[in-house]
Amino acid sequence: MTAALDTQPYTDSFGRRLRVFLGGSRVYWLVLPAFAFFLIFFVVPVLSLFLISIDRPVAGVVDPQWDFTAKNFVRFFTRATYYEAAIRSIGLASLVAVVTLAIGYPLAYMIAKTENPGRNTFYMILVLCAMQLDMVIRLYGLMVLMGDNGLINRTLIDAGWISDPLPLMYNFAGVVVGLVQFTLPFMVLSLIGIIRSIHPSLEEAARSLGATRNVAFWKIIFPLSMPGILAGSLLVFAISISSYVVPALMGGWKVVVMPIHIYQQIAEMGKWQFGAAIAVVLFATSVIAVVIYQRYAAITAGGRT
Amino acid sequence: MVDQAQPAAMTMSRQKRWSERDVPLVIQIGAWIGFVILLLPVVIVVLAGLNSGEYLTFPPEGLSLRWIIDFLTSETWMGAYLFSLLLALITMAVSTTLGTMAAIVLARHQFPGRDLLRAYFLSPLILPGVVLGLALYVFFVTTNLGLARSLTGLVIGHVLVTCPYVIGTVSAALVAFDKSLEEAARSLGANPWTAFRRVTLPNISAGMMAGAIFAFIVSFGQFDVSLFLSTPDLTPLPIALYISLRYTFEPTAAAAGIFAILLVVISMLLTARLVNMRKFGGIKFS
Repeated sequence: MTAALDTQPYTDSFGRRLRVFLGGSRVYWLVLPAFAFFLIFFVVPVLSLFLISIDRPVAGVVDPQWDFTAKNFVRFFTRATYYEAAIRSIGLASLVAVVTLAIGYPLAYMIAKTENPGRNTFYMILVLCAMQLDMVIRLYGLMVLMGDNGLINRTLIDAGWISDPLPLMYNFAGVVVGLVQFTLPFMVLSLIGIIRSIHPSLEEAARSLGATRNVAFWKIIFPLSMPGILAGSLLVFAISISSYVVPALMGGWKVVVMPIHIYQQIAEMGKWQFGAAIAVVLFATSVIAVVIYQRYAAITAGGRT
Repeated sequence: MVDQAQPAAMTMSRQKRWSERDVPLVIQIGAWIGFVILLLPVVIVVLAGLNSGEYLTFPPEGLSLRWIIDFLTSETWMGAYLFSLLLALITMAVSTTLGTMAAIVLARHQFPGRDLLRAYFLSPLILPGVVLGLALYVFFVTTNLGLARSLTGLVIGHVLVTCPYVIGTVSAALVAFDKSLEEAARSLGANPWTAFRRVTLPNISAGMMAGAIFAFIVSFGQFDVSLFLSTPDLTPLPIALYISLRYTFEPTAAAAGIFAILLVVISMLLTARLVNMRKFGGIKFS
């Protein structure tokens, strides 16, 4: 088969299409190893997890009983410990999205407006390094900074400003700080592209028509960055709600969110079916957030291309 | 240059005024606060790893290589670091191979359901990492094929979350590559494999390497997927760090962190050489 054939759009018969697919262009076989890998190790395990989440709960047994029941989900939504964890997770992730936006927007704006190519690349490398560095290492830094015996408290006590350490972590606020640190690079990267794509002449025009720099920013730049703001917030929400390590370390087991419940149910109590059910609720929450985002994005994108 | 097409009427001086100096002061201050939040924990890890005392104080007591030597001679820490390195290298090799093969089909060919197939390959990133790890663990235990508590099991989990990055970068490189060059080689008598190897491959190698580096670094720093799949004998560095932070909190962990930071910085500098960093804006990484 010639290589040129591959570029032709398939407007012809199904039979020919099939012939090309199966034998004509051998190149198609290249996708099969990855396809099979994802099918066996992603689709099947995830579907099995959904399956055992509606299976009869038997402590310590992971093999399917084939006895389907809604018990696990009823348990989740009727016990305060569990549904409150879901509400706490959603509240936490929403708060983190707002705070991260407030801190990430100025940073993204400055990087996007930096014209010097060397400096720009330098900033991008800093953001990417911070993002790619294992979160547990960054948590070490945060814990040294914010612990009861940490840098901030020690410095303040030594200076005589406070006598007892401030409760900076092992509480809800500590988890928020940890998650903001974790998700900030994702927010910045989502925003940079969109801010850069806003043509400077739009702001120029506003300014030349008498708008102050502040008015031009709030009336022109900020509304035009809405798609990036929404995408970044959604990403931050999804990452925050599914993080186990940040609430576990920064919350000191006092801020119990859904991923912590999943781990405890399975690793500590052997309740596989119930743990799977919480995992399904967690996944469903992320999916619902994506759907709401798409609805909202469609509305805000109205009138613009 | 921020935007290519500056209106012709705009003079140089006007253009010059439009630079970072024109960023309002409030935003500049906000941006520096952002940088501090982003980088302060990393700086603290480096200081803690090079500190001479048990506890980091401000200002630091003094520099010493005490914890670095501790790390290099510790079986637990060095073992975890080398295990993570091995895991990341295997993951990188598998992901780059599978991902490049898939990307060739996805980027080069029109067929019904192509967008669906692309979404299929991206889907592991939508699932929370802890859920993916759990699903794999349950699957390995129930199928009882010896994958539970094994290196292979960990590699499988890591390939699922790194392969999408390889597919993304290689697809981008293939789309940017002018396919007529390969067709020219074919018309001059090269067989498809030779034409691909001698013409296309050298042109997409930068994208492939960027994808491979990303796969490596995402695997090296992976916590969520490893949580359910690691065992006391198979402990990647992030899990070892987590256990240390939970129970002992030793400065040797910071020394291990320094070596991880070095690896990340080198990887990102290499990526910057391979691809245009500015393109990263707007890409979703999760």
